[in-house]
Amino acid sequence: MKSMSRRRQSGNGMKAFLQQHKQYLLTGVSHVIPFIACGGILIAISLAYAFRFLPPGPNGGPDLTHAPLFIQSLGTIGAAAFTLFPAVLAGFIASAMAGRPGLVPGFIGGSIAGLPQTVDGHSASAGFLGALSIGLVAGHVVNALKRILVPKLLRPVMPIIVIPILSSVAAGGLMLALNLPIARVMIALNTGLQSMQGGSQVLLAMLLGAMIAFDMGGPVNKAAFFFGVAMIQQHNYAIMGACAAAICTPPLGLGLATLLGRGQWTEEQRESGMAALGMGMIGITEGAIPFAAADPLRVIPTIMLGSMVSATVAMLGGVGDHAPHGGPIVLPVVDHRLVYVLAIVAGSLTVAVVINLVKKFTDKPAVALAGKTL
Amino acid sequence: MKIVAVTACPTGIAHTYMAAEQLEKTAKKLGHHIKVETQGAMGIENELSQAEIDGATVAILAVDIAIEQAERFARIRQIKVPVQAALRDPEAIFHQIQGIMLKNV
Repeated sequence: MKSMSRRRQSGNGMKAFLQQHKQYLLTGVSHVIPFIACGGILIAISLAYAFRFLPPGPNGGPDLTHAPLFIQSLGTIGAAAFTLFPAVLAGFIASAMAGRPGLVPGFIGGSIAGLPQTVDGHSASAGFLGALSIGLVAGHVVNALKRILVPKLLRPVMPIIVIPILSSVAAGGLMLALNLPIARVMIALNTGLQSMQGGSQVLLAMLLGAMIAFDMGGPVNKAAFFFGVAMIQQHNYAIMGACAAAICTPPLGLGLATLLGRGQWTEEQRESGMAALGMGMIGITEGAIPFAAADPLRVIPTIMLGSMVSATVAMLGGVGDHAPHGGPIVLPVVDHRLVYVLAIVAGSLTVAVVINLVKKFTDKPAVALAGKTL
Repeated sequence: MKIVAVTACPTGIAHTYMAAEQLEKTAKKLGHHIKVETQGAMGIENELSQAEIDGATVAILAVDIAIEQAERFARIRQIKVPVQAALRDPEAIFHQIQGIMLKNV
């Protein structure tokens, strides 16, 4: 309350602007959380079945082609939920900003962010960060279009024809235009990683870890991930080993942080923390997204650091992963299992301790910004 | 005083409802009549009708996200606070309302 009146009095434009945009992002996140939870858990069930009962596929990973129809269906349903996720995120960010007219360009821009782009046989999509950005763009575009004054006669045409078409062409076109460069960058990263193989293993591991955590399932993450997968096919399991440890570190570390520093997190965040722990166990980096979306400037650097730690420990300890997947769930197909577990623990502890310390020392201004009462 | 309120947090499973309870409890204690609409993961519950909103003196919006059907509140005097404020110190919200009312009347 106190801080609210403070906010009113100061009328600080930049703060109000950030506060408002945070509210938009949280609105999108609030709609997308059930999608991530549903998709993540269903995919994990089907993968867990494949690991436990089925022979690995041609690239050493879980292979669902011979799974019972029920298990296959769960995987397909989960994948559908994950496919919708960028569209839903962007759609509801845009609708929080611009009301119902925001839904169309948001959904369209977001679904394009999730579309894989193929360049030279590699494919990439803009993912979570792309969807988040295009949602904000779509909202602003619609708000700008709404301000255009039109004669009364034409007014009914605006919300059903003019605004949806113009805003979708703008948001969708921008996302399409950005998708290809993003894919190109990803592929360049991949080539760069391959050329680094002869060099320092530690440097490579640190880079992989940072990339895995940076956008939690987005294009940069996938660049590192697919590099690891490609190396599995060439019977080099160490790259995927480093990635596998890095993959689960952000959600596990953040979940751990909510357990270690109970007082520093709201009850709500502690609940997200439990979900993040669950998703971390099954190697779904996306479990960290609710934290990262709400507080990107503090969370993303911290999880990058944690994943760098776990990737480096895994690389130095000779961890190899034979499956194109990460997290404790792949333990049965990992070489040097003890080091693998150690790497994950070290990285997760790093995330938990660092984020709680960072919060401790920077929470005051952040709290004032969020308008909380302490 | 007749008050209407909306609570909404990002996840919509705990704080939304805890904040609603706090507001109801505090209003009762201070002798106000309140109806709290929750916009959680289940969508809108205990929905406020336009008549109820128009009949109230003030609206408390304890929300961290953009709320649904916000246009209902276009004509009512309102105070917007984070969900945390309703959880930690709901009485302060009511004091602030009284302050505003005294000044404006």
